[in-house]
Amino acid sequence: MSTTVKERNTMKGFGPGVVSSDVKSHANDPAVLRQVEKAMETLKRVGLPKQKNK
Amino acid sequence: MNLERYEFFDSNDYYDYEFYSEGPKGRIRKLVTFAKIPGTEPPIFNLAFGDRFADTGELDDMSITNNLDRDIVLSTVANTINTFCDHHGNHYIYVEGSTPSRTRLYQMGIAGLWEEICLDFEVYGLKDNGWHEFKPNRINYDAFLVKRK
Repeated sequence: MSTTVKERNTMKGFGPGVVSSDVKSHANDPAVLRQVEKAMETLKRVGLPKQKNK
Repeated sequence: MNLERYEFFDSNDYYDYEFYSEGPKGRIRKLVTFAKIPGTEPPIFNLAFGDRFADTGELDDMSITNNLDRDIVLSTVANTINTFCDHHGNHYIYVEGSTPSRTRLYQMGIAGLWEEICLDFEVYGLKDNGWHEFKPNRINYDAFLVKRK
């Protein structure tokens, strides 16, 4: 159930997350499968960015 | 990048991440999932982002939270990209909103944090069937490719 939070619990800068067995795979969720399918079609059509000359 | 972000949790294989958005709508559980796009080699990964359906636990990429913390959420997602790259390499990551308006929201978010994001990431926008170096606030892109420098 949602609760109103007055102060956000945040931190600054890049850093590692906390590994948790509660985080499950969503690779087979319908929304993810739909997005992957769309991305695959787009990349087949347009390819990748041209490499910059260094 | 030195932006404000939420603490997040990773799966053991570093493909899936969770964190809580906090704001006037309460604590909203957010999911980020990286999935390999079939047929790509070197691999390209799709980044899927959304809320967690309370009943099924699945990723909901159509939800609208309006929790007034867009920049914090985006910098947290950027941090998950960084962690993903730490474990899987600096591959291209494909990002597209579930709707054009959501893609536009992503673009506004990237543009708002651009000075920080461009330090660590190459970002390309898709327009007219081609990839272009991301330019904040100039063009409405259809999708994004991100690669850590």
